[in-house]
Amino acid sequence: MATPLLSKHALESALSSEQRLISTGRLKEENPLDTSPSFRLFCEACRRGDLKVCQEHITQNININARDEFDYTPLILASLCGHYEVVQMLLEQGALCERDTFQGERCLYNALNDRIRNLLLSYDYSKSTDPLQPLAGHITSLLSRATPKTSDIAVHAGDATFTLHKFVLSARSPYFKRKLDAAPETTTWRLSQAVPAESFEAAIRYLYMGDAQVKLVEGEEKQEMVVAGVEKLSRMLEIPLLLEGILNAGDRRQARQRRTEEVERGRDQLATWFEENVLRHKLEVDTARAEDVQWDRDNGIFADVLLRADEEAEEDETPDEVSPHIPQVRNTTGPLNGIPIGHFQPSRSPSRARQPRKSILFPAHRAMLLRSEVFATMFASPFREGQELQHLQIVPVDCSPEVLSIVLTFLYTETASFGLDIALEVLHAADMLFIDRLKQRAALFISTLGNGSASIVEAENPRGETDAEDPINVYDVMRAGWDTRVHRLEEFGARYLAYRLERFIDEAEFKVLVQESAARIQGRQEIDTVELVDDIRYYLSERFRLRFEDAGLDEMMDEDVNAETSVPDPEAEAAESKGAVQDDEGVDVRSGLTPPQEDEFAPVVRTLDGEIAGDEFAQDAINYQILLGKIDSLMENLGLDG
Amino acid sequence: MVLPRRKANRMQGLNVPDVDFETTWGVLEKAFLEIHTKNASALSFEELYRNAYKIVLKKKGEELYHKVADFEARWLSSEVRTKIVATITPPLQLLTEGNGGRLLSSTAERRTAGENFLRTLKQSWEDHGVCMGMLTDVLMYMVKDRVYCTDHRQPSIFAKAMGLFRDQILRSFDRPNGTMLAECLTKVILDQIQMDRDGEKIDQHLIKANVYMLEGLYQSDQEVEEEKLYLKMFEPYFLETSAAFYREEGERLLKESDAGTYCKEAKRRIDEESDRCRSTISEATTSKIQRVVEDELIRHKMKGLIEMDSGVQYMIDNDKLYELGLVFELEARVDPRKGELTKAIVKIVQDMGLAINRTAEVTSAAPPTAAAQDDAGEEKQKAGAARQINQQTVAALKWVEDVLALKERFDSIWKVAFNSDQTISTALTRSIADVINAFGRSSEYISLFIDENMKKGIRDKTEIEVDATLEQAIMTLRYLQDKDIFETYYKKHLCKRLLLKKSQSIDVEKQMISKMKMELGNSFTLKLEAMFKDMTLSEDLTGGYRAHVTRLGQADAKRVELSINVLTSMTWPLEAFRGAGEDEREGRSNLIFPGSIERIKTGFERFYAEKYSGRKLTWQTNMGDADMKATFPKSRNGRPMTHDINCSTYGMLILLLFNDLRADQPLSLEEIQTKTNIRESDLKRNLQSLAVAPKTRFLVKEPMSREIKAGDKFYYNDNFSSKIIKIKVGVVSAGNKVEGDKERKETEKKNNDSRGFAIEAAVVRIMKQRKDLSHAQLITETLTVLSSQFKPDVNMIKKRIESLIEREYLERIEDAPVPSYKYLA
Repeated sequence: MATPLLSKHALESALSSEQRLISTGRLKEENPLDTSPSFRLFCEACRRGDLKVCQEHITQNININARDEFDYTPLILASLCGHYEVVQMLLEQGALCERDTFQGERCLYNALNDRIRNLLLSYDYSKSTDPLQPLAGHITSLLSRATPKTSDIAVHAGDATFTLHKFVLSARSPYFKRKLDAAPETTTWRLSQAVPAESFEAAIRYLYMGDAQVKLVEGEEKQEMVVAGVEKLSRMLEIPLLLEGILNAGDRRQARQRRTEEVERGRDQLATWFEENVLRHKLEVDTARAEDVQWDRDNGIFADVLLRADEEAEEDETPDEVSPHIPQVRNTTGPLNGIPIGHFQPSRSPSRARQPRKSILFPAHRAMLLRSEVFATMFASPFREGQELQHLQIVPVDCSPEVLSIVLTFLYTETASFGLDIALEVLHAADMLFIDRLKQRAALFISTLGNGSASIVEAENPRGETDAEDPINVYDVMRAGWDTRVHRLEEFGARYLAYRLERFIDEAEFKVLVQESAARIQGRQEIDTVELVDDIRYYLSERFRLRFEDAGLDEMMDEDVNAETSVPDPEAEAAESKGAVQDDEGVDVRSGLTPPQEDEFAPVVRTLDGEIAGDEFAQDAINYQILLGKIDSLMENLGLDG
Repeated sequence: MVLPRRKANRMQGLNVPDVDFETTWGVLEKAFLEIHTKNASALSFEELYRNAYKIVLKKKGEELYHKVADFEARWLSSEVRTKIVATITPPLQLLTEGNGGRLLSSTAERRTAGENFLRTLKQSWEDHGVCMGMLTDVLMYMVKDRVYCTDHRQPSIFAKAMGLFRDQILRSFDRPNGTMLAECLTKVILDQIQMDRDGEKIDQHLIKANVYMLEGLYQSDQEVEEEKLYLKMFEPYFLETSAAFYREEGERLLKESDAGTYCKEAKRRIDEESDRCRSTISEATTSKIQRVVEDELIRHKMKGLIEMDSGVQYMIDNDKLYELGLVFELEARVDPRKGELTKAIVKIVQDMGLAINRTAEVTSAAPPTAAAQDDAGEEKQKAGAARQINQQTVAALKWVEDVLALKERFDSIWKVAFNSDQTISTALTRSIADVINAFGRSSEYISLFIDENMKKGIRDKTEIEVDATLEQAIMTLRYLQDKDIFETYYKKHLCKRLLLKKSQSIDVEKQMISKMKMELGNSFTLKLEAMFKDMTLSEDLTGGYRAHVTRLGQADAKRVELSINVLTSMTWPLEAFRGAGEDEREGRSNLIFPGSIERIKTGFERFYAEKYSGRKLTWQTNMGDADMKATFPKSRNGRPMTHDINCSTYGMLILLLFNDLRADQPLSLEEIQTKTNIRESDLKRNLQSLAVAPKTRFLVKEPMSREIKAGDKFYYNDNFSSKIIKIKVGVVSAGNKVEGDKERKETEKKNNDSRGFAIEAAVVRIMKQRKDLSHAQLITETLTVLSSQFKPDVNMIKKRIESLIEREYLERIEDAPVPSYKYLA
């Protein structure tokens, strides 16, 4: 391994020896060459800073750490081109930037500014974790976790007794799978005396996705016995990689790679098992009869709890179709208290329910559910859920079956892929169940995909509304951000609103939203600013600033509003402006949306000012002023200062 | 403009339209009641959680919070408080109301009632904790909802509930105008602890549980660490009562028992209190209660304890080492410097040392007796007694041994009882040094002690024992301040030992010197070593001269052999051999030697002058001795016999006079003096040994009397007979006497002179280096430089400086801010 202060020739020799290792297959290449068109597009997006395209590619399982034919990795491109958000997104989803490696140092060296450089350093491999580490860590921790009791089989090896989980054993070892499939009700198992307990412990740690290590024991002879035992177990349990891992525990980088691979394999095994057992055994029953379902403890998939999610009752779509004005929102209750309730709650009357509601029951394992703090508390509490009854308990979870399935998938496999349409719901469910990483994931989806562009939204918007830009309901997102305390969404919402303010500023619900934001703050202390409005003003200035900054905003204001003297060649400017703006700024957010808005708004400008703005700059300046003015008057109307 | 259709908003959950706060709360409240009545097992966590979650999501978190708080307050004040108040029975009421409460009911009654009260309280607290744990679990979402709890500056619901327990239970009164329950609790616990101190059994766990509760609660809902109820409502009272208890206990013990018992008791109490902190109350109090007990039992009582009849003095006198150890341990607890004990020990050592000094003074301060002893000694010598040790010497030896024994004794006490403590060690060293230096003759006595050992003491000892003796001597030296005086004495004694060949072993002598070198430094032993060097050189010289004579070829049977010690005059304290008041010039080298001797003398002078030109030899005839062969006709049963006689040079000269005379030819005292030119006093002494002492009566004196008087006549004694072939003629005046007063004065004067030189030398050295220096600094530096030799008197230094200024080595710097001097090159 190289040290940070290697000279050039030392670095080169380290690189060449690394390549030799790779070519002999002893080391996996961390940055394989990828010349596929989709990877090229991905790189292109990183270069441009196109968050959405990046996220889409990542969702399609592209190798985030691959390199293009010029040896650039997406992370290097993003950091070189100074796209902070993209860099952050890449790092959050597993892009590697490790000091002491060629690519890692290159990435740091290339970073456009210190902000990005510091971000990269903060994600340095030693600190950041394998994205799968939380899952692996949890499974390993099951070995030592005493309360609540989740183990369902006790294995005696020598003097030691291991309390284990059948589903882990079954998922990870073909041998156990056969044994347990044959006799799922087994609760104890005795290991042959020939195998030392230490060997078995090593094997178990391996199965539980921990570090494959043999504990050092006294005496060489004993040590050999242990290794022999491991070998035997490795054969018997059909886990050939265990032995290899223990024998080749030397090189740091190799060990790390092996571990990464191993965890990945473990996750995949678990995922397969989850798919084949948990998901396949889900039951659909009438909600009314859901409580009557009885599962024995000794079931074939070793589930020890049933999670229940109820289908939404069928709704009559027509009356509830969202109308342009959404008037009933505010009519139902008083402004402050009532809004979230009225807003979130589909006003549903008994008469609307048509068919008996269906409920889905998922058989699950407490051991995995513990990853949610709520479940952990629930199963450890002296309440009913904490007790062991004859039949499996049915625990209702307050979300749709679809979302519950996503939640379970995440808990079992650390993967989450879902559409933007249910992202908010997932966000809420994750918040309710205290699954932080899933919550962040959902927020990430919303904030990267939510800006929308034709491609994704058309697919999601089958009704073919004429004005279909909005893939999300920004009000919901904003409120969800507040409710679930995800700052990222607040930022996203404010920015979203700012870049489309023309459209929202006059909406009644916008006003309500501002009031809500004000209420949040006033509840805290008497400072007269409204966070949302501040944020919107900030993003608004960002939106227009880009065009003003060359000439200086103030100057622009003074001159352009009155006369068009300062712009030398208005016509040529006007003709080119749209395209130029888009290409130069590279801000995805604006590229597709803003110019049409401006066109729409141009007449408004005219009517308000009574004259036609001569060119794009003047128009922007005036628009900016008008929008600011509108915000001010809105604030005044609401009786808020700031 | 159309926003996308809102997909079903599922946040509201399963039981669809129930968003009514009151209803939802109703569900929760009912469940909470079940929880409090321990019926939770049938409840569904999920349902409760969901309800609470919904309430919070609908921004009703605050209402929920207050509802929960109200519910708890109600529950605590109605159900729990009543139950607890019911346990405050009359014995407890008496206890908590007045100070005399303890006396009004029996211990057994109070104990049962108290335990009952404590148990109920503990049970309530634990139940409350469990219930609140469950409640917070259910209210998880609310707790987590920082928007609510932290933004609204409210304590978390759990803290709030704990606060409610404090307000509704501990701060409530057992009845209108009664005692606050917390106060009851404190008093009951204190009462129980008092029982424990009185030696009765109490339920420690019960108390611990209650203390644990107090530790878990705070004065306010802010949960400031320093404001635990335990620290505010219990600990101060506990410390206060403990202080009172131990104050009384300490006084009682001092009155009733002896110091040893007191110490044991105090130690037991301290241990007991720290045990109590561990088992019954809080560890946090350990250090505080220890301090209280230490204050009351030790710090305030230590002085009295040490000065008791059975105090430290008694313990040392009776070797009560264990008790001494206890005293030390207690003292060490309260005072790292062990002030009181050190003071006491120092005083005892000094008292004992003073006694030793006084004994030595009494023994030596009787000159008449000492003289009489001398005479008696002489008598004995005449009577053939080989040894002569005078009273003074005995006193000196005894003094040194006593001092050593004293040190030994306290060293062992120090090791066993005082745990080899550094502070006490320093104090001991200092006080023993004080004892040694307080005795005026210490330097002389120590030297004498070594002298005695060198001559006789080490005769039959093994090497190890010899070493130990030397070590002891060195040890006393270490304490000695006036090392220069010691040096003078040691030189004198060593000189005598060497020249008179009295030393048992030259090796041991050298060993001693090297030990001193290690202890006192090179310069100290420089002169002593020179003395040894002179001795070796002289041996070579003698050999060389003998060879020289042989080479000359004068083979002469009658030749007199010469063995000579050439002594460097500055190194050797030759005056030690001269009598008191003798004039240096008088009678030296004026001796009349017979021819053969004179030849040898001049021969050697020539030889020496050839070898070392420019050196002057001064013959110290008073220190020489001679071997002679003499034949007496009737010595062996009337037959002639030749004896080897060893006598002083003077004796030889006298005897040689009779060589040429017939037996009946007398010489008078005056004739002898004229012929030899020996000083009268020396002559008389030598004649005394030749003519009076019975074993060496080579001459016959007329008249026969002991005193030699003018006009006495001496004859050759041809009737001399002796069976011994080798006869040594003793000369009166040898022996390691303690100096007489006159001698001492002289030594002192000389000493002062040499100190004066040493001081001047030091001052000049310092000034030469520093060029100018303030007076105070000069004095300090001089003291430092000289400290290895002696501790000079500051007045003496001043005088010396004056004299140096007079001699223009230094000058005063005028108009200096502080008096300063300047060195004049």
